[in-house]
Amino acid sequence: MIPLSWYLALSAVLFTIGVVGVITKRNAISMFMCIELMLNAVNLTFVAFSSYFGDVTGQLFVFIVMTVAAAEAAVGLGIIIAIFRNRESLNVDEASVLRL
Amino acid sequence: MYTFLFILFGGMAIGCAVAMVAHRNPLYSAISLIGVFVSLACLYMMLQAPFIAAVQVIVYAGAIMVLVVFVIMLLNVEEEVRRPLSLRYLVPIGVGLAAVLTAEAAFILKLPGASRVDMLGPQPSDVGLTASIGTGLFTEYLLPFEVTSILILMALVGAITLARRTTVSRLATGADADFKPTSPAPPDAVIKSGDTEATGRAFAKLQIEQEEAALPASGGEEGTR
Repeated sequence: MIPLSWYLALSAVLFTIGVVGVITKRNAISMFMCIELMLNAVNLTFVAFSSYFGDVTGQLFVFIVMTVAAAEAAVGLGIIIAIFRNRESLNVDEASVLRL
Repeated sequence: MYTFLFILFGGMAIGCAVAMVAHRNPLYSAISLIGVFVSLACLYMMLQAPFIAAVQVIVYAGAIMVLVVFVIMLLNVEEEVRRPLSLRYLVPIGVGLAAVLTAEAAFILKLPGASRVDMLGPQPSDVGLTASIGTGLFTEYLLPFEVTSILILMALVGAITLARRTTVSRLATGADADFKPTSPAPPDAVIKSGDTEATGRAFAKLQIEQEEAALPASGGEEGTR
């Protein structure tokens, strides 16, 4: 039987890798994918606790987090397309003003 | 057996995540991220959450990543350029912060109180089944569920507003021939049913004017940098 702390440690490592990606990447789409990785790490924590405590609430939260992630994907990719159309680049260092 | 599976899928998840961060080409990153999602779905199955595992594969690996890959293909994203020397310090800072974060997590998991949590095992229950999740979602957590639907509607409207091209629709009305769009170049000419020769000529003139205006403007912009 696997201890709960293994799942928590795995989740922490995945979250940390996502943080490193957000800090070091300059491409908007790559940063977006790193944020998705961080959301998934938190989802793993939710499901692990839900399963180990026998409570359904954690998995309901995971469901809602997935919905928010899908909405975020739609809006975020829309913004990325708008930025690319105006600047011909996805480098976030060049997109330094809010004006399109 | 379970330990072996955990190490297999956990190792796969971490390996794919590291590959995702290490790759410079966004398409390789996206495919590595799909690997992370699939191995996490396997871990959810081990945690007796079959519904969440199925939703993970369908929504994340299926829908969101298809959207991301579609945008990567649409924009024809080039490989990430190396950042200028002034920003090179971000990589050691990122790795250092990651080490601190991992050390914090390890410290918390090694606290004396944490061992009580490990006494628990996965409860043999029907918590992860679709029926119990649906019951919880439509009774106790009905309000969050409805708020989520409003959120999706807002995201839908926002995405359409962001992604549409405004200049075409204004030009297609044909009301103002010497209307000048702002900085972005006008999109390729699309022949609408209401177009006449005059609107086409106005469009061509506008494009020429804009190209002439763009040349000195871009030169000036370079000079200020």
